[in-house]
Amino acid sequence: MIARGVLLVLCLFGAVDVIHAQTPRPRPPAPTGPTPRGGSWEIGGGYTFVAGYDFDTSNADLTRNTASGTDRFTLFISDSSVQAAHAVSGQLGYYFSPRWAVEGGIRFARPVFRTELSDDAEGAPDTVAEEKLDQYLFSASVVYHFAGAGSSIVPFVAGGGGYLRELHESQELVETGAEYHASVGIKNWFGNARRRFGVRAEGGFSFRDGGFDFDEKVRVLPTFGVSLVYLF
Amino acid sequence: MTRWQRFLTIIILIVLAAVPLGAYLKLGSRVGSRTVTLRWRQFPVRYFVTDRGVDGVSAQQFQTAISRAFGKWDDVATAELSSQFAGFTQQSPEDSDDQSVLGFLNRPDQNRTLAATSFFIDTSDGRILESDIFFNSTFAWSVSESGTAGRFDIESIAVHEIGHLLGLSHSALGETELISGGRRVIAAETVMFPIAFSAGNTSDRELKADDIAGLSDIYGTSAFTRQFGSISGRVTKNGAGVIGAHVIAFNPRTQKLVGGFSLSEDGSFVIAGLEPGPHVLRAEPLDDGDIESFFDSSLGVDVNFNVKFYERVVVVPRGGGTSNIEIRVTPK
Repeated sequence: MIARGVLLVLCLFGAVDVIHAQTPRPRPPAPTGPTPRGGSWEIGGGYTFVAGYDFDTSNADLTRNTASGTDRFTLFISDSSVQAAHAVSGQLGYYFSPRWAVEGGIRFARPVFRTELSDDAEGAPDTVAEEKLDQYLFSASVVYHFAGAGSSIVPFVAGGGGYLRELHESQELVETGAEYHASVGIKNWFGNARRRFGVRAEGGFSFRDGGFDFDEKVRVLPTFGVSLVYLF
Repeated sequence: MTRWQRFLTIIILIVLAAVPLGAYLKLGSRVGSRTVTLRWRQFPVRYFVTDRGVDGVSAQQFQTAISRAFGKWDDVATAELSSQFAGFTQQSPEDSDDQSVLGFLNRPDQNRTLAATSFFIDTSDGRILESDIFFNSTFAWSVSESGTAGRFDIESIAVHEIGHLLGLSHSALGETELISGGRRVIAAETVMFPIAFSAGNTSDRELKADDIAGLSDIYGTSAFTRQFGSISGRVTKNGAGVIGAHVIAFNPRTQKLVGGFSLSEDGSFVIAGLEPGPHVLRAEPLDDGDIESFFDSSLGVDVNFNVKFYERVVVVPRGGGTSNIEIRVTPK
């Protein structure tokens, strides 16, 4: 359905060009120069893959009676992880110049927190227990484009930070943190109209500090995203 | 309240000690149709120490170890209580004299009891009026900093008994093995386990998460109420409630364990004093100690089921509770 929408819009622009060509008057100058330029906007939305991460193994340990040994007595073992997530994302960018832009973005995902319970001292069957997290990321980025106005293929780099907000399944417990990211990508603009659609693909790393975690450390997670963008 | 009425309250207490009340097991008493938690209402809790030592432990050393043991409970940040040494006394810890007394008694007839705690309570509101603790001088004792082989550590046993004095009953967070003459602890993660570690062990000088949760459930600060949460639910077998199931809540983030019991006919349980965050639940039969160590034998505890993990991660909210958990166990 999105592809049909894109096609329709492109056809309409084409029709405008035809009408202009048939008028006897000289074609007026383009209302603006090639875009993007300072003052242009870019809006987009799409899909982002966010890698999961593992926690250290957690043992349910009891204090050993010295008469029966000196090591810890493990009642059972818990191996926990947050699974890779498929997110929907959107961003709105503002160009200060043909090459520099700032963006605000939002991303939503529902990663699964999973813990595998095993090696029970009293023989409880191994079990996988799970819950789903609602994960929101509100971010701001600075984007530098390696090609100027009018180019159809535009490589870029982006970097920024954000606010991470994660709700556990019961919706009664929120864990928050900071997120920093760096990515490289490419935009492929369709045509060279002042207002036009394009496709954006980027890959990079997301640095999580806080949010739902067992440890107080920064986690580095690979990300990859594709989105449909519109320049105006 | 007359002396006779007070004595009567002890009997009632013992009979009703298995009423479900929040975190693992607190001592409770039924007043009419409601259950009240046994607790001190007046602080500091003033205690006397019998002016009598035993082989290897002077009265002064005994008092010092007792004070350290009280201090462990006083220092729980999420609970509001305090204690005070009121002096040495000639009174015996078995006397009813409006004084809480801790001291040695020679009880060779109780050759499996290291120490015991008794109460006088006001049955109208569960207020503890007096509580005595005796240490059985039939056994060899030690106050050595690192423990003494063959001798039981006064401070460790005192921490356990003072837990009772403050209103806690036994916890089942431990594993035991049968040996000739009884059971031996393999491991435990609560000082309130009913069977002591072997002589020479000093591990029970330090409170565990289960002990802190239980104490805080009784004497919790307002911050505790705001910051900690609970899990409640049922343990069922073939659709019917299981009485006496031991339910453990494990926090994989902090690796802390807190236990509770299902004590009503519908198998309901409550585990309070939990840190916010995801928890794993595990239900097991109460087969690591005599049932009477925990409950009155008339409770009808069911131990005929298999150990089981709950299939979902349970998230404890901050200052609230998660309910409607049902752990379905299967018969052995």
